[in-house]
Amino acid sequence: MFGSLPLLTPLVLALRNMRVRWMRTALTCLGIVLGVAVILAIAITNESTLRSLRSVFDEASGRASLVVLPTAGDGEGLDETAAARAAGQPGVVTAAPTVIGTTLLARDVESWQFAVSLSGQAVGSSLQILGVDPELDPLVRQYALAGGRWLQGEAYEAVLSETYAGDKDLRVGDDLVIVAAGGQERLRIVGLVRREGAGLLNDGQVAFVPLPVAQDLFGRAGYLDEISIVAALEVANAPAALEALKDRLGERLGRGYDVTYPAERGRLVTQMLSTYQQGLSFFSVIALFVGAFLIYNAFTMTILERTRELGLLRALGMSSGQVLGLVLTEAVTLAVLGSALGLGFGMALARGLIAMLGVVLASDLSAFSVPPGGLLQSLLVGGLVTVGSALAPAAQAARTSPLEALRTAGAQAAGRPRRPAWLVGGALIFVAWAALYALPVRPEAGFAVGGLAILLLLLGATLMVPAVVGLAERLVRPAAVLAFGAEGVLGSGNVRRATGRTALTVAALLVGIAMVIATSSLSGAFTHDLTSWVETALGGDLYVRSPQPMREQFERQLAALPGVEGITKIRYFAVRAAASALASGADGDTSLIYAAIDPATYQSVGEFQFAANQGDPRANWARFARGDALFISTVVADRYQVQQGDTLRLVTRRGEHDFYVAAVAVDFTGQGYIVTGHWDDMRRWFAQSGVDRFTIGVAPGYTSQQVAETIEARYQAARNVSVETTEDFKQKITGLSAQSFRLFDVLGLIGLVVAALGVINTLMMNVLERQREIGSLRSLGLTRWQITKMVLAEAGTLGLIGGAFGLAFGYVLSQVFVDAVNAMVGYDLQYIFIPAPFLAGAGLALGVSQVAALYPAWKAAGVNIVEAIKHE
Amino acid sequence: MEFNEGGGNSVMPVLQAENVQKSYRMGELTVSALAGVSLVVQKGEFVAVMGPSGSGKSTLLHLLGGLDGPSEGEITLAGQPLSKLSDNQITIVRRRKVGFIFQFYNLLPTLNAEENVGLPLLIDGQSLAPHRAKIAALLERVGLADRKHHRPDQLSGGQQQRVAIARAFVNDPEIVLADEPTGNLDSKTGTAILALLRRTCDELGATIVMVTHDPRAASYANRVIFLKDGQLARELSNSAPGHNTQAIMDVMAGLE
Repeated sequence: MFGSLPLLTPLVLALRNMRVRWMRTALTCLGIVLGVAVILAIAITNESTLRSLRSVFDEASGRASLVVLPTAGDGEGLDETAAARAAGQPGVVTAAPTVIGTTLLARDVESWQFAVSLSGQAVGSSLQILGVDPELDPLVRQYALAGGRWLQGEAYEAVLSETYAGDKDLRVGDDLVIVAAGGQERLRIVGLVRREGAGLLNDGQVAFVPLPVAQDLFGRAGYLDEISIVAALEVANAPAALEALKDRLGERLGRGYDVTYPAERGRLVTQMLSTYQQGLSFFSVIALFVGAFLIYNAFTMTILERTRELGLLRALGMSSGQVLGLVLTEAVTLAVLGSALGLGFGMALARGLIAMLGVVLASDLSAFSVPPGGLLQSLLVGGLVTVGSALAPAAQAARTSPLEALRTAGAQAAGRPRRPAWLVGGALIFVAWAALYALPVRPEAGFAVGGLAILLLLLGATLMVPAVVGLAERLVRPAAVLAFGAEGVLGSGNVRRATGRTALTVAALLVGIAMVIATSSLSGAFTHDLTSWVETALGGDLYVRSPQPMREQFERQLAALPGVEGITKIRYFAVRAAASALASGADGDTSLIYAAIDPATYQSVGEFQFAANQGDPRANWARFARGDALFISTVVADRYQVQQGDTLRLVTRRGEHDFYVAAVAVDFTGQGYIVTGHWDDMRRWFAQSGVDRFTIGVAPGYTSQQVAETIEARYQAARNVSVETTEDFKQKITGLSAQSFRLFDVLGLIGLVVAALGVINTLMMNVLERQREIGSLRSLGLTRWQITKMVLAEAGTLGLIGGAFGLAFGYVLSQVFVDAVNAMVGYDLQYIFIPAPFLAGAGLALGVSQVAALYPAWKAAGVNIVEAIKHE
Repeated sequence: MEFNEGGGNSVMPVLQAENVQKSYRMGELTVSALAGVSLVVQKGEFVAVMGPSGSGKSTLLHLLGGLDGPSEGEITLAGQPLSKLSDNQITIVRRRKVGFIFQFYNLLPTLNAEENVGLPLLIDGQSLAPHRAKIAALLERVGLADRKHHRPDQLSGGQQQRVAIARAFVNDPEIVLADEPTGNLDSKTGTAILALLRRTCDELGATIVMVTHDPRAASYANRVIFLKDGQLARELSNSAPGHNTQAIMDVMAGLE
């Protein structure tokens, strides 16, 4: 007989309780799911994006252990004989030379467009041509032939990536007609490679030709762009031996040659991406907070609701330890369930985020990798926060004396605000402020400290809420009465009954709204500065570009055209700052973009937007024009701790050289990793030539369109140039920035969903707890619709209070975000008040609270009066 | 000397229940809570409903107040047959014609005594301002003139029940329904509450139906109705309210 009794273990009791209170179980679970999912999704997104971008660089080097590059970026390149010299070194198995050129199909010239992306890569319809040694290169890079054959000898033939061939409808046996230094050239297509290994280069827009052919095509006879070194296995696998080989090669090859590890080439792109990723990581900190919060909220309520039941169990002889065990078992069960679902949802969310990021970065982000650290982190949070959140209510439940619990009708939630709570809250806010503004923080700790400070701010604000909720309700009540009449009085007053619960709900709304406002404000500040930079720095009316550097003499020909009033040239190339120039403590990324300009003509079409306190612009220009000088971006100034009047040491073709900093300027090119130098310095120190872009000012009486057409008519076919109006380019840039912030909007929405869950949770709890009261109000003559209005009024009051707190906190958080981004990235953004996000925030607070109240209101309206008033 | 206005028809009863039945489904079983009760309450009457646990007295009160609908039979409250009214219309009848007094007072914790008394008016969409004097008079009547700004948690049980009584009378109801109004009070406080109800009935001409299991409480009524197993078992008239407790106890003893 007794044997057939089910074992009432804590697990069974917990499971039963979860099943009976399925609604609450679902809400709590959803909180855990969201928390775990957001953290994991962000970790996956960061890791996958990095991996995708890195893989492009990895594919470029294949099995190479080392890469030899010319010291000052591209340009003349390496001497052809260097490959043989490198190959002769002990420990080197293969030294494969490569010449890289960018071109496009002759038939695409008219439709070619210069495209920009967040990572600074120029993407679009350009075709990358790799001149390789047909014998050696397959030892370095992986080629998977999909058709035809591999290159043989030195004939004018090409192996194309399957992707490109598919896009352009080209087949083996066709001719590839491209634009080259000397005009159009024909290459016979002899083979296709799959989209893997080397076929992934340049996003699949790639063709391979014999080395001498490439040198011919691009006028690079006798020169190479890079040499991939495959080291002997025993060297490649021993870091010390490889480092020794790297040094030996560098020594043997001499000045003008840089021997690096393949991974370092991706640095510039990945370091630009890191800004974005830090933004995402901030969100994961906030996601952690809101997720934890929802879980805590739901758990506290489920315990409050069951005070009586737990009291009964205590009265029946359950020890407080057993009660604690019961509640914790429930927590662990929920944690396991919620985390498992959260992992699934997180991966789905990550796919969405990566797809969005792919659009923003204009790259095909095909990698999807789950970082073990992120997985562990999200699971830890799911588990620890759930169990942690359950601890306090569980302990409270265990402490409750049986008598007291049985006597309580439903439960009396925490009554008056406890003094220490708001004191602690105030203290936390102060600590957060101090961490953000008063204490010197080393840059590498910036993210950790910033994230923690924001957590403390949120927590502090939450603890402050109970102390002021009474006052806030009184202030808000007239609005509730205005909107809901007499029911407004009843509903509004209800929020003062369980201050603890109200505080949690208000805080959930606060966090959601503040997040929306802070991200919008950050995006606003960024867009504002970007726009003003775009307006000043991107001067001129037309841009003339070509897939290959243009000759300098072209400037005179363009200047002579009718309607061209001013013209200036610009050239971008990669440089490195000397490692010794880095501020102490910063990591070793030293890649920068060098923009060479001609001060004599630059100001005829454009201006520089100097940072604050840079003195007289004319004096800055005068100093710059004397040469050996730079305008550096605010980002570079911050990173290398250099100011106007200091010097910045760059690695040049002639060794390291100090350049005078003539001024610090706002510049978002390449995410701010940019210095601007004199055209003559470029030639002298970096041996670069050619023009990437001509900027043209259109004379009065002509339209941009007219001049663009003139240039296109005359030079498009002959010189492969494309003309774009500055307006179009500006729109591209601002569009890109708007797009990149859309990702944050998605995360802000998740915050709002969490807030809505908080409101539903609270109101459901309130409705459940006040069954008898609702019953007696119904018996006193309140109709179902009036009950509905009463619950909506309560939600509206919560929304108003949460919204008001959210607006205030959002205002503070906006400035913290802007300051944090400035501190971390080195921008010089100014916080500007934009009303739109605040209005949206207020609207969202009300909207979310009303929508979230619908279900609880419906439940309340449906209360059975007789059942309810019997309920004691 | 009674004077009938217009025509010679008799005075319409405030409350009339005709063969009221109520059954509940509990899983597979159908439980009959009321098995056909008829009852007429005239204006100015104080009727007590007694009976052992499970006799259906609370169910009857709920049906009389329109809180629940009967399975069979008809209830006519203030001239309106409830079965013909919608949920909303019944709610309005409750709001304007019925006063409720509960065992656990059921005051709103967020409102003070004055506001709690005025709650039915508030619910009716009226402003409290024009009714201040009336509310003050009611609070005076229940002896809480000096407590009108106190919240329920600042009042004793007896004081809370006094507020609840004042609330029940604020809308000049046709009838007041009281469910064990002294069930949660000590005997001394209970007695005071009963005396208050009796006095209100006498002085204001109010009509009260009170459910109780306490013979001493029932003795304050003019008429005591005894229920057993969902049916009317006996009826007792009481010409001397406040006395005759023993007679009621005897009837109860016979029922149990």
